[in-house]
Amino acid sequence: MQIRIRETDFTLLAEKALWRPDTEQLIIADIHLGKASHFRKAGISIPADSVLEDMRRLDLLMKSHQPKEVILLGDLFHSSYNREWHLFESFLESFPGIQFILVKGNHDILKKDRYELPNFSVMDTWEDGMFLYSHEPMEHADKFVFSGHVHPGITLSGKGKQHLSLPCFHISPKQAVLPAFGKLTGLYILDRNEKDNYYLVYNGIVRKV
Amino acid sequence: MNLAQTWFKQKGWKPHKFQKETWAAIKAGKSGLLNAPTGFGKTFAIWFGVIQHFYDHPKPKANKLHCLYISPLRALSKEIFLATNRVSHDLGLPYSIELRTGDSSMKDRTRQKKDKHQALITTPESMHLMLAAKGYREQFSNLAFVIIDEWHELLGSKRGVQIELALAHLKAINPNLRVWGISATIGNMEQAKDILLGPVSGHTEIIKANLEKKITINTVLPDEIEKFPWGGHLGLKLLPKLVPIIEESKSTLLFTNMRSQAETWYQQLLEQVPDLAGRIALHHSSIDFQTRKWVEEQLHSGSLKIVVCTSSLDLGVDFRPVDTIIQVGSAKGVARFIQRAGRSGHSPGEKSRIYFVPTNSLEIVEGSALKDAVRHQLIESRIPYVRSFDVLIQFMVTLGVSEGFQSESLYREIKTTHAFQSVTPEEWQWCLDFITRGGQSLGAYDEFHKVVLEDGLYRVTSKAIAARHRMNIGTIVGTSMMNVKVLGGKNLGTIEEAFISRLKPGNVFWFAGRNLELHSVKDMTAIVRASKEKNGIIPSWLGGKMPLSSQLSSSIRKALTHYKEGGKLDEELKKLKPLFELQQEVSHLPGNDELLIEKLKTREGYHIFMYPFDGRLVHEGMATLLSYRIGLLTPVTFSISMNDYGFELLSDQDIQVEELIDNNLFSDEFVYEDAIRSINSSQMAQRRFRDIASIAGLVFTGYPGQEKKTRHLQASSQLFFKVFEDNEEQNLLLLQAYDEVINFELEISRQQAAFRRINTQKIVVTYPTKPTPFCFAIMVARFREVYSNEPIEVRVEKLLKQIEKK
Repeated sequence: MQIRIRETDFTLLAEKALWRPDTEQLIIADIHLGKASHFRKAGISIPADSVLEDMRRLDLLMKSHQPKEVILLGDLFHSSYNREWHLFESFLESFPGIQFILVKGNHDILKKDRYELPNFSVMDTWEDGMFLYSHEPMEHADKFVFSGHVHPGITLSGKGKQHLSLPCFHISPKQAVLPAFGKLTGLYILDRNEKDNYYLVYNGIVRKV
Repeated sequence: MNLAQTWFKQKGWKPHKFQKETWAAIKAGKSGLLNAPTGFGKTFAIWFGVIQHFYDHPKPKANKLHCLYISPLRALSKEIFLATNRVSHDLGLPYSIELRTGDSSMKDRTRQKKDKHQALITTPESMHLMLAAKGYREQFSNLAFVIIDEWHELLGSKRGVQIELALAHLKAINPNLRVWGISATIGNMEQAKDILLGPVSGHTEIIKANLEKKITINTVLPDEIEKFPWGGHLGLKLLPKLVPIIEESKSTLLFTNMRSQAETWYQQLLEQVPDLAGRIALHHSSIDFQTRKWVEEQLHSGSLKIVVCTSSLDLGVDFRPVDTIIQVGSAKGVARFIQRAGRSGHSPGEKSRIYFVPTNSLEIVEGSALKDAVRHQLIESRIPYVRSFDVLIQFMVTLGVSEGFQSESLYREIKTTHAFQSVTPEEWQWCLDFITRGGQSLGAYDEFHKVVLEDGLYRVTSKAIAARHRMNIGTIVGTSMMNVKVLGGKNLGTIEEAFISRLKPGNVFWFAGRNLELHSVKDMTAIVRASKEKNGIIPSWLGGKMPLSSQLSSSIRKALTHYKEGGKLDEELKKLKPLFELQQEVSHLPGNDELLIEKLKTREGYHIFMYPFDGRLVHEGMATLLSYRIGLLTPVTFSISMNDYGFELLSDQDIQVEELIDNNLFSDEFVYEDAIRSINSSQMAQRRFRDIASIAGLVFTGYPGQEKKTRHLQASSQLFFKVFEDNEEQNLLLLQAYDEVINFELEISRQQAAFRRINTQKIVVTYPTKPTPFCFAIMVARFREVYSNEPIEVRVEKLLKQIEKK
């Protein structure tokens, strides 16, 4: 699904990520790696399959789009350090020519030196031309803001007392909130308003509401 | 010396016939089941047999444990502890009794291990904890008796399975062990005895006390049925009619089915009858333990006029002053109704008196049905759990923690239990694999390598695993609860975390009979302060969704038929006459030989209502199964609602159910298979699996005081569920989850019986234009399930089309 923001084309991907063709940038929010191991450490044992699946999806996305740069909108890693971070490190190593930029989220609490990797940089927010990348949604006087954090979703209700809750992109005139990429994440159900646009993501489909 | 004779003479009492029979049976070396109600000396019936045996068989090892008394209720244990010690004291018998429950302090437990006493009163959980301690074989080596109190309560639960396992193991240590159970009347008395005793040496016997108390049942009826609501479950409408009943009684217990309902009733009673202040109290399982204890003490002393309560007061020590019971809403079962009625009228020669308060108009018919069922003593059976591999795995690790076990001999033991008699050698091997290597799918994770095999003995060698396991022993998995505490003050009780998490500081809610404002949340404690605001939210607790029993269901069908056939009407049916006439006019009033289906179109969509009168679980199962069968012919999404009388399939399309009926919609073939297929897409098995995973020790519920939030527990058990489904379809715990859903949540045998019955019934389809007295309550129900076999894309498009039209 194509949309235009500030005279720039963007593609909303059904993989719950955003693609900017002109600069070949991939934008992803809230992967929450390490959540499974985090639970396991706390005595709640989660089989690691779910983590691997997130990494697989990430890998596929990289291969299908071949980005030059990947912008991670925070909450990359769910918790304090655990073995799953290695998975991500070797993932980075397998894409040596690609720059990864993490704008830090509230969950990104790893020690600084963990982030010292060759093709990886970390900042609190990042400004790039007329765009600003941040973990939490925010208003900016003249820049358009991309963010995550919220895990936005929408509930559809209709006849026969039917309800469906699905993740979505939330695009308003001055900012865009991305759906959470990670599988082990919940949904925050939005109240829709007239001014904004909402794009549902489900089953490989992006659909405007 | 005959101890019983001496003691009864001392007291100037005369023993009951059943007591003498029991003493004789125990003397003759029998094991058995005593069927007696509370409050008639059932404990003494067993107890004098036990101490007489001790007296008659003096042994050099007289300072070893001679009798183990297991009671499911701590309150009762205390009572028995006092009574039995008094007997020893009166007779000057060197027979001392100790009490050990979850409440016992570490100090007490250590002392108990050292001190020599002859009997121990304990709970099923504490019993298993003892098996998790080194030296238990020695401790139990001289055991002559095990007494299981309230066996009817334990039988239908996994705690019953715990008992079966412990008994099998104790019998292996002491082949001459005698086992005695005490049980209230249930439908399957003979089976209850066989399960409890298992293969014991010597003869067995059921002794019946035949002392059932007389019960007076009254239904509280509205003056005008026309003004009485068709739906709802609170029943406050009839509150004014209860005031004179409460006033004229010495002391009243008012039972509701849900905690939230108890809170509402308490609040309303105080508001409408202000002079009850100081003489009314609230009692339910979320209220602080100390407060509950205080309420119980006040009940004993007779200083309370009325206590609003839930099943928290179903069992326990009798309150002599209580002479009246009020049951608000359906009692759901005959046994439960009788049990509750029996909480009143304990003074000699007194009757039990119970008032049934219907909460909606159709429920009035239950008053009529209950009277009939009580008259004919149609008491429900307790269905025992079988093949509860979670409990078995827990038990295996328990033995591993203490003295270890040998595979072959333990397999032989568990095969003697009713619960595990069908376990095959392969299944047993699976369990061994599971505790030693995490089975097929979890082998990679060390934390599931709990037990190791050393020299033919399975043992837990890690201290950390042993400590965790001891903390996890038990089969009752709670929902995550938060303490509620007054700012700078005392504990009020506990509330589901899910409720608190919906509140913001400053919000007002009603709990423990007070209006409270949430101040802050710290760890797992909600800090509150008193609020002056009138209206707070009342927390909704889980549970309270017990289904109507089949005994009561069939009594209701019988009452409707009786009415239709022009039989003599009792006051309930007389009152219902205008309502039934209306139902007959706008739709149809079904008799025993008919199944009524109503089709109705409203703004919400197309409704199909069916009324099998089989209880809500069977209805939920039938509704899902019929959705599945309809879905085979056409893609469809249903919103499903049900109550104890019928269910609704609500859809956005008109379903030609008439044609489907001719097409074998109600076929009684493949009910089991279709039920399994229809729940595949649902969440039921996953929900069941949460408890199973916790009992089997897959997920750790946390150290005391820092319990994990259940939300996380749920999340992780769901992941296990998925892993097992993807990689290990034959995982016994996974299969158990499905079996439990089939047997306990869908009540498959009742469902099959219902389908067979429907096939003999005439199906009547009506097309009312407005909601009928029958369908109204189902239609407005808030809790709904969804069944869908439409692709998600189609559902989204349909929903969006409706939204975009607006």
